[in-house]
Amino acid sequence: MNSNYNYAFLDEGSKREIRRSVLKAVAIPGYQVPFGSRELPIGRGWGTGGIQLTLSLIGPADTLKVIDQGSDESVNAVNIKKFVGLCTDVETTNDTRKATLIQTRHRIPEIPLRNGQILVLQVPIPEPLRIVEPCEEATKKMHAEKDYAPMWLQLYESLVKYKKVTIPTEYPCMVEGRYMMNPSPIPKFDNPKLHRAECLYLFGAGREKKIYAIPPHTEVVSLAFDDIPFERESFAGKKCRLCGSENTYLDEIFDPQTGERFFQCSDTSYCQEVRRHVSE
Amino acid sequence: MTWQLTKKHNFDAVFDSQKLFRLLLEAISNPTRIVDIKEIADKLFGSYPELLAVAMTLLDNETGFSIYGSDSLSADIAALTLARREAVSAADFIFVCDKSGIQEAIEKAKYGTLAQPHKSATVVIQSDGAQAGSLTLSGPGIAGAVEIPVSQAVKDALACRAAQNYEYPQGIDLIFVSDKGELMAVPRLVKVVE
Ligand SMILES: [Zn+2]
Repeated sequence: MNSNYNYAFLDEGSKREIRRSVLKAVAIPGYQVPFGSRELPIGRGWGTGGIQLTLSLIGPADTLKVIDQGSDESVNAVNIKKFVGLCTDVETTNDTRKATLIQTRHRIPEIPLRNGQILVLQVPIPEPLRIVEPCEEATKKMHAEKDYAPMWLQLYESLVKYKKVTIPTEYPCMVEGRYMMNPSPIPKFDNPKLHRAECLYLFGAGREKKIYAIPPHTEVVSLAFDDIPFERESFAGKKCRLCGSENTYLDEIFDPQTGERFFQCSDTSYCQEVRRHVSE
Repeated sequence: MTWQLTKKHNFDAVFDSQKLFRLLLEAISNPTRIVDIKEIADKLFGSYPELLAVAMTLLDNETGFSIYGSDSLSADIAALTLARREAVSAADFIFVCDKSGIQEAIEKAKYGTLAQPHKSATVVIQSDGAQAGSLTLSGPGIAGAVEIPVSQAVKDALACRAAQNYEYPQGIDLIFVSDKGELMAVPRLVKVVE
Protein backbone atom coordinates (compact mmCIF):
# COMPACT_ATOMS: atom_id res chain seq x y z
CA MET A 1 0.00 0.00 0.00
CA ASN A 2 1.29 3.45 -0.83
CA SER A 3 1.32 5.26 2.52
CA ASN A 4 1.43 8.72 0.95
CA TYR A 5 -2.31 8.37 0.50
CA ASN A 6 -5.12 8.09 3.00
CA TYR A 7 -6.62 4.60 3.09
CA ALA A 8 -8.88 4.31 0.02
CA PHE A 9 -7.46 7.60 -1.27
CA LEU A 10 -10.38 9.88 -0.35
CA ASP A 11 -10.18 11.95 2.82
CA GLU A 12 -12.52 10.87 5.60
CA GLY A 13 -14.77 13.93 5.16
CA SER A 14 -15.42 13.05 1.52
CA LYS A 15 -16.15 9.43 2.42
CA ARG A 16 -18.56 10.50 5.17
CA GLU A 17 -20.49 12.76 2.81
CA ILE A 18 -20.78 9.98 0.23
CA ARG A 19 -21.77 7.49 2.95
CA ARG A 20 -24.54 9.78 4.21
CA SER A 21 -25.78 10.15 0.63
CA VAL A 22 -25.70 6.36 0.12
CA LEU A 23 -27.88 5.76 3.19
CA LYS A 24 -30.39 8.35 1.94
CA ALA A 25 -30.31 6.81 -1.54
CA VAL A 26 -31.17 3.37 -0.11
CA ALA A 27 -33.99 4.89 1.97
CA ILE A 28 -35.49 6.58 -1.14
CA PRO A 29 -34.96 3.97 -3.89
CA GLY A 30 -34.46 5.46 -7.36
CA TYR A 31 -34.13 9.06 -6.13
CA GLN A 32 -30.95 10.87 -7.18
CA VAL A 33 -29.20 12.16 -4.07
CA PRO A 34 -26.73 14.99 -4.77
CA PHE A 35 -23.22 14.78 -3.34
CA GLY A 36 -20.04 16.86 -3.55
CA SER A 37 -18.07 14.92 -6.15
CA ARG A 38 -14.28 14.99 -5.71
CA GLU A 39 -11.54 15.29 -8.29
CA LEU A 40 -9.67 12.03 -8.71
CA PRO A 41 -6.25 11.49 -10.30
CA ILE A 42 -7.70 9.37 -13.08
CA GLY A 43 -8.65 9.89 -16.65
CA ARG A 44 -12.00 11.05 -17.92
CA GLY A 45 -14.49 8.39 -18.87
CA TRP A 46 -13.34 6.11 -16.08
CA GLY A 47 -16.49 6.68 -14.14
CA THR A 48 -15.37 8.73 -11.16
CA GLY A 49 -18.83 8.41 -9.58
CA GLY A 50 -18.48 4.64 -9.40
CA ILE A 51 -14.92 4.83 -8.11
CA GLN A 52 -15.84 7.33 -5.39
CA LEU A 53 -18.61 4.98 -4.25
CA THR A 54 -16.22 2.02 -4.23
CA LEU A 55 -13.59 3.98 -2.28
CA SER A 56 -16.17 5.07 0.31
CA LEU A 57 -17.47 1.53 0.77
CA ILE A 58 -14.33 -0.55 0.67
CA GLY A 59 -12.53 -2.01 3.69
CA PRO A 60 -9.98 -4.72 4.53
CA ALA A 61 -12.68 -7.43 4.66
CA ASP A 62 -13.69 -6.85 1.02
CA THR A 63 -12.87 -8.74 -2.15
CA LEU A 64 -13.16 -6.50 -5.20
CA LYS A 65 -14.15 -7.35 -8.76
CA VAL A 66 -14.12 -4.74 -11.53
CA ILE A 67 -15.70 -5.26 -14.91
CA ASP A 68 -16.04 -3.06 -17.96
CA GLN A 69 -18.49 -4.13 -20.68
CA GLY A 70 -18.57 -7.54 -19.00
CA SER A 71 -14.81 -8.06 -19.06
CA ASP A 72 -12.46 -8.25 -16.06
CA GLU A 73 -9.45 -7.86 -18.31
CA SER A 74 -10.24 -4.66 -20.19
CA VAL A 75 -7.79 -1.79 -19.77
CA ASN A 76 -10.29 0.25 -17.75
CA ALA A 77 -11.15 -2.59 -15.39
CA VAL A 78 -7.50 -3.49 -14.82
CA ASN A 79 -6.52 0.13 -14.18
CA ILE A 80 -9.32 0.68 -11.67
CA LYS A 81 -8.33 -2.54 -9.86
CA LYS A 82 -4.72 -1.35 -9.77
CA PHE A 83 -5.69 2.09 -8.46
CA VAL A 84 -7.96 0.76 -5.72
CA GLY A 85 -5.41 -1.92 -4.86
CA LEU A 86 -2.67 0.68 -4.54
CA CYS A 87 -4.56 2.59 -1.87
CA THR A 88 -6.28 -0.26 -0.02
CA ASP A 89 -4.43 -3.57 -0.44
CA VAL A 90 -7.77 -5.39 -0.80
CA GLU A 91 -7.93 -8.73 -2.51
CA THR A 92 -9.25 -8.67 -6.08
CA THR A 93 -10.96 -11.43 -7.99
CA ASN A 94 -12.53 -12.24 -11.35
CA ASP A 95 -14.89 -14.71 -9.70
CA THR A 96 -18.31 -13.10 -9.30
CA ARG A 97 -19.16 -15.41 -6.39
CA LYS A 98 -16.06 -14.50 -4.40
CA ALA A 99 -16.53 -10.72 -4.71
CA THR A 100 -18.18 -8.71 -1.93
CA LEU A 101 -17.95 -5.51 -3.94
CA ILE A 102 -18.26 -5.34 -7.72
CA GLN A 103 -17.69 -2.19 -9.71
CA THR A 104 -19.08 -2.31 -13.21
CA ARG A 105 -19.81 -0.38 -16.34
CA HIS A 106 -22.39 -1.49 -18.94
CA ARG A 107 -23.23 -4.94 -17.52
CA ILE A 108 -24.69 -6.82 -14.57
CA PRO A 109 -23.02 -10.26 -14.19
CA GLU A 110 -24.87 -13.33 -15.47
CA ILE A 111 -24.59 -15.16 -12.13
CA PRO A 112 -27.38 -13.91 -9.84
CA LEU A 113 -25.84 -11.83 -7.07
CA ARG A 114 -26.57 -12.82 -3.48
CA ASN A 115 -27.58 -10.81 -0.46
CA GLY A 116 -24.57 -9.07 1.02
CA GLN A 117 -22.95 -8.38 -2.35
CA ILE A 118 -22.90 -4.79 -3.59
CA LEU A 119 -22.83 -3.88 -7.27
CA VAL A 120 -21.55 -0.36 -7.97
CA LEU A 121 -22.57 0.92 -11.40
CA GLN A 122 -20.84 3.79 -13.15
CA VAL A 123 -23.32 6.25 -14.63
CA PRO A 124 -22.46 8.95 -17.19
CA ILE A 125 -25.91 10.59 -17.33
CA PRO A 126 -28.10 9.78 -14.33
CA GLU A 127 -31.19 11.70 -15.43
CA PRO A 128 -33.68 9.49 -17.33
CA LEU A 129 -35.77 12.54 -18.28
CA ARG A 130 -32.85 14.30 -19.99
CA ILE A 131 -33.97 13.03 -23.41
CA VAL A 132 -37.25 14.92 -23.07
CA GLU A 133 -36.14 17.86 -20.92
CA PRO A 134 -32.69 19.46 -21.05
CA CYS A 135 -33.10 21.69 -17.98
CA GLU A 136 -32.04 20.26 -14.60
CA GLU A 137 -34.44 22.46 -12.61
CA ALA A 138 -37.32 21.26 -14.77
CA THR A 139 -36.46 17.56 -14.41
CA LYS A 140 -36.16 17.99 -10.63
CA LYS A 141 -39.65 19.45 -10.61
CA MET A 142 -40.94 16.59 -12.76
CA HIS A 143 -39.57 14.05 -10.27
CA ALA A 144 -41.02 16.03 -7.35
CA GLU A 145 -44.46 16.01 -8.98
CA LYS A 146 -44.08 12.51 -10.46
CA ASP A 147 -44.85 14.14 -13.78
CA TYR A 148 -43.58 11.55 -16.24
CA ALA A 149 -46.09 12.20 -19.01
CA PRO A 150 -43.52 13.67 -21.44
CA MET A 151 -41.43 10.51 -21.15
CA TRP A 152 -44.42 8.24 -21.78
CA LEU A 153 -45.32 10.37 -24.78
CA GLN A 154 -41.80 10.01 -26.15
CA LEU A 155 -42.00 6.22 -25.79
CA TYR A 156 -45.40 6.15 -27.43
CA GLU A 157 -44.24 8.27 -30.37
CA SER A 158 -41.25 6.03 -30.99
CA LEU A 159 -43.61 3.04 -30.97
CA VAL A 160 -45.86 4.65 -33.54
CA LYS A 161 -42.98 5.73 -35.73
CA TYR A 162 -40.68 2.73 -35.54
CA LYS A 163 -43.09 0.03 -34.29
CA LYS A 164 -40.78 -0.50 -31.32
CA VAL A 165 -39.14 1.38 -28.48
CA THR A 166 -35.89 2.72 -29.85
CA ILE A 167 -33.92 2.89 -26.61
CA PRO A 168 -31.18 0.19 -26.70
CA THR A 169 -29.50 0.92 -23.34
CA GLU A 170 -30.30 3.16 -20.38
CA TYR A 171 -33.85 1.88 -20.77
CA PRO A 172 -35.78 3.64 -17.99
CA CYS A 173 -37.65 1.89 -15.21
CA MET A 174 -40.03 2.82 -12.41
CA VAL A 175 -38.81 2.12 -8.90
CA GLU A 176 -41.43 1.20 -6.28
CA GLY A 177 -44.01 2.89 -8.50
CA ARG A 178 -42.61 6.33 -7.61
CA TYR A 179 -39.34 7.28 -9.30
CA MET A 180 -38.39 6.98 -12.92
CA MET A 181 -34.77 5.85 -12.97
CA ASN A 182 -31.95 5.43 -15.46
CA PRO A 183 -30.43 1.97 -14.86
CA SER A 184 -27.11 3.21 -16.39
CA PRO A 185 -25.91 2.04 -19.83
CA ILE A 186 -26.68 -1.63 -19.25
CA PRO A 187 -28.47 -3.50 -22.07
CA LYS A 188 -32.21 -4.04 -21.67
CA PHE A 189 -31.21 -7.68 -21.18
CA ASP A 190 -30.00 -6.75 -17.67
CA ASN A 191 -32.97 -4.59 -16.59
CA PRO A 192 -34.97 -7.50 -15.13
CA LYS A 193 -32.02 -8.34 -12.85
CA LEU A 194 -32.77 -5.13 -10.91
CA HIS A 195 -36.25 -6.29 -9.92
CA ARG A 196 -36.56 -7.87 -6.46
CA ALA A 197 -32.88 -8.81 -6.41
CA GLU A 198 -31.00 -10.18 -3.43
CA CYS A 199 -28.09 -7.76 -3.72
CA LEU A 200 -27.76 -4.00 -3.28
CA TYR A 201 -27.30 -1.84 -6.39
CA LEU A 202 -25.59 1.55 -6.04
CA PHE A 203 -25.28 4.01 -8.93
CA GLY A 204 -22.67 6.78 -9.03
CA ALA A 205 -22.47 9.71 -11.44
CA GLY A 206 -19.30 11.73 -10.82
CA ARG A 207 -19.70 14.56 -13.27
CA GLU A 208 -23.35 15.15 -12.41
CA LYS A 209 -22.69 14.50 -8.71
CA LYS A 210 -25.54 12.09 -8.06
CA ILE A 211 -25.90 8.82 -6.17
CA TYR A 212 -28.91 6.54 -6.31
CA ALA A 213 -29.73 3.03 -5.17
CA ILE A 214 -31.91 -0.03 -5.46
CA PRO A 215 -32.00 -2.06 -2.25
CA PRO A 216 -32.75 -5.81 -2.31
CA HIS A 217 -36.39 -6.87 -2.80
CA THR A 218 -37.38 -3.62 -4.49
CA GLU A 219 -39.88 -3.34 -7.31
CA VAL A 220 -38.19 -2.20 -10.51
CA VAL A 221 -40.37 -2.23 -13.62
CA SER A 222 -39.08 -1.34 -17.09
CA LEU A 223 -41.40 1.10 -18.88
CA ALA A 224 -43.97 -0.58 -21.09
CA PHE A 225 -47.55 -0.24 -22.27
CA ASP A 226 -50.31 -2.71 -21.47
CA ASP A 227 -50.53 -3.89 -25.07
CA ILE A 228 -46.81 -3.62 -25.84
CA PRO A 229 -44.77 -5.40 -23.17
CA PHE A 230 -41.13 -4.68 -22.37
CA GLU A 231 -38.78 -6.88 -24.37
CA ARG A 232 -35.14 -7.68 -23.78
CA GLU A 233 -32.70 -8.18 -26.64
CA SER A 234 -33.32 -11.59 -28.12
CA PHE A 235 -30.49 -13.94 -29.00
CA ALA A 236 -32.82 -16.69 -30.19
CA GLY A 237 -31.00 -19.22 -32.35
CA LYS A 238 -27.59 -17.81 -31.39
CA LYS A 239 -25.09 -19.13 -28.91
CA CYS A 240 -21.65 -18.36 -27.54
CA ARG A 241 -18.98 -19.80 -29.84
CA LEU A 242 -16.69 -20.40 -26.85
CA CYS A 243 -18.93 -21.97 -24.20
CA GLY A 244 -22.14 -22.68 -26.09
CA SER A 245 -24.38 -20.72 -23.69
CA GLU A 246 -27.75 -19.79 -25.18
CA ASN A 247 -29.05 -17.77 -22.24
CA THR A 248 -26.43 -15.04 -21.85
CA TYR A 249 -25.96 -11.57 -23.30
CA LEU A 250 -23.88 -12.04 -26.44
CA ASP A 251 -21.46 -9.65 -28.11
CA GLU A 252 -21.35 -9.83 -31.89
CA ILE A 253 -17.80 -9.95 -33.15
CA PHE A 254 -16.74 -9.35 -36.72
CA ASP A 255 -13.52 -10.77 -38.06
CA PRO A 256 -12.38 -8.40 -40.87
CA GLN A 257 -9.82 -10.99 -42.07
CA THR A 258 -12.33 -13.73 -42.79
CA GLY A 259 -15.46 -11.60 -43.00
CA GLU A 260 -16.97 -13.98 -40.45
CA ARG A 261 -19.45 -12.89 -37.78
CA PHE A 262 -19.77 -14.76 -34.52
CA PHE A 263 -21.13 -14.36 -31.01
CA GLN A 264 -19.60 -14.74 -27.60
CA CYS A 265 -20.58 -14.07 -23.98
CA SER A 266 -20.06 -10.48 -22.91
CA ASP A 267 -19.54 -11.69 -19.30
CA THR A 268 -16.05 -13.17 -19.74
CA SER A 269 -15.70 -14.64 -16.25
CA TYR A 270 -19.03 -16.45 -16.63
CA CYS A 271 -17.97 -17.77 -20.03
CA GLN A 272 -14.69 -19.10 -18.61
CA GLU A 273 -16.53 -20.76 -15.75
CA VAL A 274 -18.91 -22.55 -18.10
CA ARG A 275 -15.96 -23.77 -20.18
CA ARG A 276 -14.17 -25.01 -17.05
CA HIS A 277 -17.20 -27.03 -16.00
CA VAL A 278 -17.60 -28.49 -19.47
CA SER A 279 -13.96 -29.62 -19.63
CA GLU A 280 -14.03 -31.19 -16.14
CA MET B 1 -1.02 8.49 41.29
CA THR B 2 -2.33 10.59 38.42
CA TRP B 3 -5.90 10.90 37.35
CA GLN B 4 -6.75 10.66 33.74
CA LEU B 5 -8.33 13.97 32.83
CA THR B 6 -9.38 13.24 29.30
CA LYS B 7 -11.69 10.47 28.25
CA LYS B 8 -9.97 8.12 25.87
CA HIS B 9 -11.33 5.89 23.20
CA ASN B 10 -9.73 3.67 20.62
CA PHE B 11 -12.34 3.98 17.87
CA ASP B 12 -10.38 4.11 14.63
CA ALA B 13 -11.61 7.04 12.53
CA VAL B 14 -10.76 5.24 9.29
CA PHE B 15 -11.32 1.52 9.82
CA ASP B 16 -14.01 1.45 12.52
CA SER B 17 -15.99 4.11 10.63
CA GLN B 18 -15.79 2.00 7.48
CA LYS B 19 -16.85 -1.15 9.30
CA LEU B 20 -19.74 0.53 11.08
CA PHE B 21 -20.87 2.25 7.88
CA ARG B 22 -21.07 -1.10 6.11
CA LEU B 23 -23.11 -2.54 9.00
CA LEU B 24 -25.42 0.49 8.81
CA LEU B 25 -25.72 0.00 5.06
CA GLU B 26 -26.53 -3.68 5.55
CA ALA B 27 -29.16 -2.79 8.13
CA ILE B 28 -30.88 -0.07 6.08
CA SER B 29 -30.78 -2.26 2.94
CA ASN B 30 -32.31 -5.17 4.87
CA PRO B 31 -34.76 -3.73 7.40
CA THR B 32 -35.76 -6.38 10.00
CA ARG B 33 -32.15 -7.60 10.06
CA ILE B 34 -30.25 -6.92 13.26
CA VAL B 35 -26.54 -6.24 12.86
CA ASP B 36 -24.02 -6.46 15.66
CA ILE B 37 -22.01 -3.30 16.40
CA LYS B 38 -20.87 -4.31 19.90
CA GLU B 39 -17.21 -4.77 19.02
CA ILE B 40 -17.05 -1.21 17.68
CA ALA B 41 -19.22 0.39 20.38
CA ASP B 42 -17.01 -1.20 23.04
CA LYS B 43 -14.17 1.01 21.84
CA LEU B 44 -16.07 4.10 23.00
CA PHE B 45 -16.87 5.51 26.41
CA GLY B 46 -19.93 6.95 28.14
CA SER B 47 -23.44 5.71 28.75
CA TYR B 48 -24.40 5.55 25.07
CA PRO B 49 -21.45 4.07 23.17
CA GLU B 50 -23.73 2.69 20.42
CA LEU B 51 -25.21 6.13 19.67
CA LEU B 52 -21.75 7.67 19.87
CA ALA B 53 -20.39 5.08 17.41
CA VAL B 54 -23.10 5.96 14.88
CA ALA B 55 -22.32 9.68 15.38
CA MET B 56 -18.59 9.11 14.91
CA THR B 57 -19.30 7.33 11.63
CA LEU B 58 -21.73 9.77 10.03
CA LEU B 59 -21.35 13.22 11.61
CA ASP B 60 -18.89 16.03 11.01
CA ASN B 61 -18.85 19.81 10.74
CA GLU B 62 -21.16 19.64 7.72
CA THR B 63 -24.00 18.17 9.80
CA GLY B 64 -26.25 19.43 12.59
CA PHE B 65 -27.55 17.28 15.43
CA SER B 66 -29.89 17.36 18.37
CA ILE B 67 -30.19 15.13 21.41
CA TYR B 68 -32.95 14.02 23.74
CA GLY B 69 -31.88 12.83 27.15
CA SER B 70 -28.13 13.21 27.65
CA ASP B 71 -26.07 16.38 27.99
CA SER B 72 -22.87 14.37 28.24
CA LEU B 73 -23.56 12.55 24.96
CA SER B 74 -24.28 15.91 23.35
CA ALA B 75 -20.95 17.27 24.59
CA ASP B 76 -19.06 14.15 23.46
CA ILE B 77 -20.57 14.21 19.96
CA ALA B 78 -19.83 17.93 19.55
CA ALA B 79 -16.25 17.49 20.74
CA LEU B 80 -15.45 14.31 18.81
CA THR B 81 -17.20 14.95 15.50
CA LEU B 82 -17.24 18.80 15.36
CA ALA B 83 -20.89 18.60 14.28
CA ARG B 84 -22.96 21.61 15.32
CA ARG B 85 -25.82 21.50 17.80
CA GLU B 86 -29.11 22.42 16.14
CA ALA B 87 -32.73 22.91 17.07
CA VAL B 88 -34.56 19.58 16.69
CA SER B 89 -36.51 20.87 13.69
CA ALA B 90 -33.29 21.71 11.82
CA ALA B 91 -31.15 18.72 12.81
CA ASP B 92 -29.87 16.22 10.24
CA PHE B 93 -29.46 13.65 13.01
CA ILE B 94 -31.53 13.39 16.17
CA PHE B 95 -30.29 11.09 18.93
CA VAL B 96 -32.89 9.89 21.39
CA CYS B 97 -31.41 8.35 24.55
CA ASP B 98 -34.65 7.43 26.21
CA LYS B 99 -38.02 6.43 24.83
CA SER B 100 -39.67 9.40 26.60
CA GLY B 101 -38.13 11.59 23.87
CA ILE B 102 -39.34 9.59 20.88
CA GLN B 103 -42.65 11.31 20.23
CA GLU B 104 -41.37 14.87 20.35
CA ALA B 105 -38.27 14.00 18.32
CA ILE B 106 -40.34 12.46 15.54
CA GLU B 107 -43.00 15.17 15.55
CA LYS B 108 -40.39 17.91 15.23
CA ALA B 109 -37.96 16.17 12.87
CA LYS B 110 -37.54 17.70 9.42
CA TYR B 111 -38.92 15.40 6.74
CA GLY B 112 -37.61 16.93 3.53
CA THR B 113 -39.64 18.23 0.60
CA LEU B 114 -41.11 16.51 -2.45
CA ALA B 115 -38.26 17.98 -4.50
CA GLN B 116 -35.54 17.32 -1.90
CA PRO B 117 -36.65 14.38 0.22
CA HIS B 118 -33.04 13.72 1.29
CA LYS B 119 -33.11 16.91 3.37
CA SER B 120 -34.78 14.98 6.14
CA ALA B 121 -33.66 13.86 9.57
CA THR B 122 -32.32 10.46 10.56
CA VAL B 123 -33.55 9.67 14.06
CA VAL B 124 -31.27 7.35 16.03
CA ILE B 125 -33.00 5.83 19.02
CA GLN B 126 -31.61 3.97 22.03
CA SER B 127 -33.83 1.05 22.88
CA ASP B 128 -33.59 -1.03 26.04
CA GLY B 129 -33.65 -4.16 23.91
CA ALA B 130 -36.33 -5.84 26.03
CA GLN B 131 -38.91 -7.54 23.86
CA ALA B 132 -42.36 -5.96 23.98
CA GLY B 133 -44.18 -8.01 21.40
CA SER B 134 -43.67 -8.35 17.68
CA LEU B 135 -44.42 -6.45 14.49
CA THR B 136 -44.73 -7.48 10.86
CA LEU B 137 -42.83 -5.15 8.52
CA SER B 138 -42.98 -4.81 4.76
CA GLY B 139 -41.31 -2.61 2.15
CA PRO B 140 -38.15 -2.33 0.03
CA GLY B 141 -35.36 -4.49 1.45
CA ILE B 142 -37.83 -7.02 2.85
CA ALA B 143 -38.92 -10.16 1.00
CA GLY B 144 -42.69 -9.98 1.36
CA ALA B 145 -43.55 -9.34 5.00
CA VAL B 146 -41.42 -10.40 7.95
CA GLU B 147 -42.44 -10.64 11.59
CA ILE B 148 -39.79 -9.66 14.12
CA PRO B 149 -39.67 -9.28 17.90
CA VAL B 150 -39.43 -5.60 18.84
CA SER B 151 -38.84 -3.42 21.90
CA GLN B 152 -41.28 -0.81 23.18
CA ALA B 153 -39.08 1.93 21.68
CA VAL B 154 -39.41 0.42 18.19
CA LYS B 155 -43.17 0.06 18.61
CA ASP B 156 -43.60 3.63 19.85
CA ALA B 157 -41.38 5.14 17.16
CA LEU B 158 -43.04 3.31 14.26
CA ALA B 159 -46.53 4.19 15.52
CA CYS B 160 -45.55 7.81 15.96
CA ARG B 161 -43.93 7.99 12.53
CA ALA B 162 -46.97 6.44 10.85
CA ALA B 163 -49.18 9.05 12.56
CA GLN B 164 -47.28 11.85 10.78
CA ASN B 165 -48.76 10.70 7.45
CA TYR B 166 -45.86 12.03 5.41
CA GLU B 167 -46.42 12.18 1.70
CA TYR B 168 -43.67 9.96 0.27
CA PRO B 169 -40.85 10.63 -0.73
CA GLN B 170 -40.94 12.92 2.29
CA GLY B 171 -40.35 11.15 5.56
CA ILE B 172 -37.76 10.25 8.18
CA ASP B 173 -35.49 7.25 8.55
CA LEU B 174 -35.12 5.46 11.86
CA ILE B 175 -32.15 3.64 13.35
CA PHE B 176 -32.42 1.70 16.61
CA VAL B 177 -29.55 0.58 18.82
CA SER B 178 -29.58 -1.42 22.02
CA ASP B 179 -27.01 -1.60 24.82
CA LYS B 180 -26.29 -5.16 23.71
CA GLY B 181 -24.81 -3.67 20.54
CA GLU B 182 -27.72 -4.53 18.26
CA LEU B 183 -28.57 -2.14 15.44
CA MET B 184 -31.62 -2.12 13.19
CA ALA B 185 -32.85 0.42 10.64
CA VAL B 186 -36.35 1.15 9.42
CA PRO B 187 -36.22 3.52 6.43
CA ARG B 188 -39.22 5.62 5.46
CA LEU B 189 -40.85 3.22 2.98
CA VAL B 190 -40.97 0.31 5.42
CA LYS B 191 -44.37 0.01 7.07
CA VAL B 192 -46.00 -2.05 9.77
CA VAL B 193 -48.58 -4.39 8.26
CA GLU B 194 -51.46 -5.88 10.22
ZN1 LIG C 1 -19.64 -18.03 -23.41
